[in-house]
Amino acid sequence: MNLLLCFLAFVSGLAHAVTVEEILTKIDANLTYEARESSLQMVVTKKGRSKTYRMHSFGRGQEDMAMEYLEPARDKGTKMLKKTDDLWMYLPSFEKPQKISGHMLRQGLMGSDMSYEDLMESSRWQTMYNGTIAAEEVIEGRKCWKVELKAKESTVSYPKRVIWVDQANYIPLRQELYALSGMLLKSWTMGDVRSIEGREFPMKMVVEDQVQKGSVTEIVFEKVTFKVALAEEVFSLRWLER
Amino acid sequence: MELLITMAVRNLGRNRRRTALTALTVALGTALLTVALSMLNGLLVTTLEKAAGQAGHVRVVDVDYARREQLMPLSENLPDTAPIVAALAADPDVLAAFPHIAMGVTGCLESEEIGEKFALLHGAPTAYYTDVLHLDTSLSSGAMPTAEDEVLLGRAFAEDIGAEVGSTVILLGQTQDGSPAPARLRVAGLVDLGNRTQNRQLWVSMEKARWMADIDGGATEVLAQVRDYQAAGAVAARLRSHQTLSAYDVHAWDERSPFDQIGGVLVTIKSVVAGIIVFITGLGVLNTMLMSVLERTGEIGVMRAFGLRRFDTVLLFFFEAIAIAGLGGLGGVALGAVGATILGRVGIHLGEGASKMPATIPINETMYPQLTADVLVTGFLLGLLMAVVGALLPSIRAARIQPVDAMRHRR
Repeated sequence: MNLLLCFLAFVSGLAHAVTVEEILTKIDANLTYEARESSLQMVVTKKGRSKTYRMHSFGRGQEDMAMEYLEPARDKGTKMLKKTDDLWMYLPSFEKPQKISGHMLRQGLMGSDMSYEDLMESSRWQTMYNGTIAAEEVIEGRKCWKVELKAKESTVSYPKRVIWVDQANYIPLRQELYALSGMLLKSWTMGDVRSIEGREFPMKMVVEDQVQKGSVTEIVFEKVTFKVALAEEVFSLRWLER
Repeated sequence: MELLITMAVRNLGRNRRRTALTALTVALGTALLTVALSMLNGLLVTTLEKAAGQAGHVRVVDVDYARREQLMPLSENLPDTAPIVAALAADPDVLAAFPHIAMGVTGCLESEEIGEKFALLHGAPTAYYTDVLHLDTSLSSGAMPTAEDEVLLGRAFAEDIGAEVGSTVILLGQTQDGSPAPARLRVAGLVDLGNRTQNRQLWVSMEKARWMADIDGGATEVLAQVRDYQAAGAVAARLRSHQTLSAYDVHAWDERSPFDQIGGVLVTIKSVVAGIIVFITGLGVLNTMLMSVLERTGEIGVMRAFGLRRFDTVLLFFFEAIAIAGLGGLGGVALGAVGATILGRVGIHLGEGASKMPATIPINETMYPQLTADVLVTGFLLGLLMAVVGALLPSIRAARIQPVDAMRHRR
């Protein structure tokens, strides 16, 4: 009888052992969306000097994103539109939308530690990476899986990621982003996780450049809505010029 | 002594063919040397003087900017350049001081994709563009910008993006904080600086560059022009102790990379080239002088028997060599001057490799030899040196001849 109970407990344990695929699926469920409208603040700090931006953004699926800068005064009216693999920018001085390409995409978004490519990375993690659970560790008092991810294709911005996923809410509280050479490029932390319209969502993100030390970008979502009907015009060049 | 000189001059006419051959060797060597020195002079003057002017004979930058200047960090700027310019202008050896901003930008024609074509944008007062860079004399079409919304493009960048005079170009850089620094400008003129790297630059007004970099009233550097660019080090040393400038990095052009290396390298090249030519021509003189000594062994023996001292024998051949070198040297300098002048007008094409040099070392694809008085004097003196070097060994050999052996040889 005891032997039978032990066997059942073992089988039950096996049945509940989480896989990397399950973790990535649940992360995608939290961080990806059909539609999103948000107001956010971005503080870029370099060598002790900070600059604060306020933006309003719209997202549709994994493909489309539109963002308008509200502050500071110099950048007010600057708009960005990402349509699938294309990025357009409208700067009041240009008078017309300008398509961004090439090396420019690897530059920091508004001088932040997030590049335009980071902004354009649209695929779900589940489709981009596979990997292994390396350990279980505690990050800021939260029990996490340490998962080492490797890109399935070489076109991914970061061929290797090491992530620490909160076992309770499937939010990657900490990430390390590596180049193909194995060089650590950025660290990315997520915090202030809140339940919003049936999902867990980090209201605060901090991206730190590990190559250019002393450069930190903090993004705080002031307001996020997922169940929103977005007009088609928002994701058009006409919206950029409006 | 007078007798020795008279004998030396008379000896020149005894075997006119040999004298002519020796003089011709010296003349060709001197001519070659004059042309080579003119070429190096041209390279030195057009490269270093131009580079020194562009980089500022004396430059004032933030200490952190100097440390990371390869990255051109806009954030390490001079927030207020007015007191720096005033402090520099107060120095008696400073002719002018200009605030300057250099930043990387990407550009395209209006409505085209941006992010593939890059150029180095300069922002400075118009006087810097005309008095220091002489861009107004390098215009290949159009005119100098007169308004803030106008830009001067280097030919290579203009070709890259398909811009012409009158085109509207879109430029995108980054402010000192990394925000987009956009500009929509009309092309006022195109500049050809004779070098593809140099031609991948563009020049805007100081105000426009300040707005783009978001450095109101400041600049990344202040460039001073001094009276004598070769004495800029002394001026920089004096300026470093100025109260206003002591907190900044103040250095002369030849104290900064890459110029601190180039000057020495060019002088070494000049010395090596001159040394090789002197050596080869010296061998020619040595050959003919040795022939002369062998031919006149018996005669030397007789003169020694009549009391000519060994030292006088050396002097006799030495004077002969000097006389030949004087004639050959004058002819060679004249020949070399003609060659250098012609090449100075036609120019020497250095090939496309020259245009791939970094923008800080502005070597033109075509180099023009520069003939100066010091090149002529150096060419003539080195011509004399060739003759002295070539005559030294035969003279010593002649002086060592014993009168008895010499007369036996004569028989």
